[in-house]
Amino acid sequence: MSTPEEAWSVQRLARTIKSRVEDGFAPVWVRGEVVGFKRYPSGHWYFGLRDELAKVDCVIWRSAAGRIDTPLTEGTEIFALGSPSVWEERTSLRFSITRVMPASAVGAAAQQLEAVRKRLAADGLFDPSRKRPLPAFPYRIAVVTSAAGAAVHDIITVARRRWPGIELVVVGAAVQGEQAPAELVHALAVVARLPGVELCIIGRGGGAREDLAAFNDESVCRAIVACPVPVISAVGHEVDVTLADLVADLRAATPSQAAEFALPERREVIERVLQLGAGLERGVTDLLAGRRDRMQRTRERMGNALLGRLHAAERRLHRAGTALPTALAGRVRVPRARLDGVAARLRPAIDRRTDRAAADLARLAATLDALSPLAVLGRGYAMARDAAGRVLRRRVDFVPGSPFTLRVGDGDIDARVEES
Amino acid sequence: MSDTPATLGDDLTRLEEIVRRLEDDDLALEEALQLFEEGVGRLKGAKTRLADAETRVMQVLKETGEDGALRLEPLDG
Repeated sequence: MSTPEEAWSVQRLARTIKSRVEDGFAPVWVRGEVVGFKRYPSGHWYFGLRDELAKVDCVIWRSAAGRIDTPLTEGTEIFALGSPSVWEERTSLRFSITRVMPASAVGAAAQQLEAVRKRLAADGLFDPSRKRPLPAFPYRIAVVTSAAGAAVHDIITVARRRWPGIELVVVGAAVQGEQAPAELVHALAVVARLPGVELCIIGRGGGAREDLAAFNDESVCRAIVACPVPVISAVGHEVDVTLADLVADLRAATPSQAAEFALPERREVIERVLQLGAGLERGVTDLLAGRRDRMQRTRERMGNALLGRLHAAERRLHRAGTALPTALAGRVRVPRARLDGVAARLRPAIDRRTDRAAADLARLAATLDALSPLAVLGRGYAMARDAAGRVLRRRVDFVPGSPFTLRVGDGDIDARVEES
Repeated sequence: MSDTPATLGDDLTRLEEIVRRLEDDDLALEEALQLFEEGVGRLKGAKTRLADAETRVMQVLKETGEDGALRLEPLDG
């Protein structure tokens, strides 16, 4: 609450009003009818803009007046771009205008835009099926924009954050003004000639609606369509969708967003690579483990079968060994000593067969071990391969004098066949 | 101009395929080892590519060379 003791000076009041009105008031287009136009000797123009319900005093300063070619005769309907300004000495408010377009011209521009839209649509250039997918991991990206504009900076910033290891190639072009369409078309032709480019971003940072004209230009739209790599439009205007946005393979609202669409998050890709690495390791380990289990089972089955036969043989021998003396004793009188001799000879025979079976088993185990893929991963197993990488399995595979590679646990050894 | 090929996508696609194939129990051992070796190579390639942390910014110069070739120079970003 203000008190008389704290009374403001008039100037402070005027200055506060001025700053409250002017600060943060972005230029705005206003449509109205010209009334009371006066050209002052100072070069400034004064008039009013009105519609059915209101009137605002306007000024066009000398600096801006020189660029305006629309006649501001009484009653003319115009579009005027400006912002309010307050003259401190009298606290008078005027809408300070910098650009003027006759309303008829605006209508003509809208008609022309509609004509271009129809032609592009008739050629199927807005067809969603025509949109090309973006490359998953583009390395070289062309950026068509003003070399001095904010768009380049924004894209670089996003790239450094999301996916630093890329190359941006900036192809400079005016993005507004009369030269813009021709320069944009030329820049897109340059993109087509740049080697290795996988993606193109075309756009500008921010801009008023009338500054977007180049991105509604038919030749620019057709050049975007003709671009050999996918194009992301980034015209930097949240509200307006330009024709360039419609023909581009993808529309981004801003250059920063275009870079986000273009580049994956490195963190996510690293995660995926780590998972794939783990999958690779697990895949080969499981595979080998599965094979080892199968080998183990086979070995056990074969061993059991062998042992079973061995035991049966042993049992038969044993039965024969015990039955024999009795049978002999029952029929012929055989001296005890001779019987002992038979038993003594039988015993080693049994032992010999047992020994042979054990040796077979050991050999079998050794063979299985050598076949086990685990050995391939390291321990004393060697794999011979010819120059083409084919595994040499049989003697005939080894041609005398020809080189081959011996793969052991920790690497390859170059070798040569001495003799077949 | 650098010639680094953009093979990361290929590497990742192929790695996924290799991991899938390795899960096949009927895969010949020899082939499995070859796939594993290839997988390790591609994994290395992908990691190298991911380790690249430099954003290079080039600019196409307006005036082309005498032969009409495009000229590029580094742009200070």
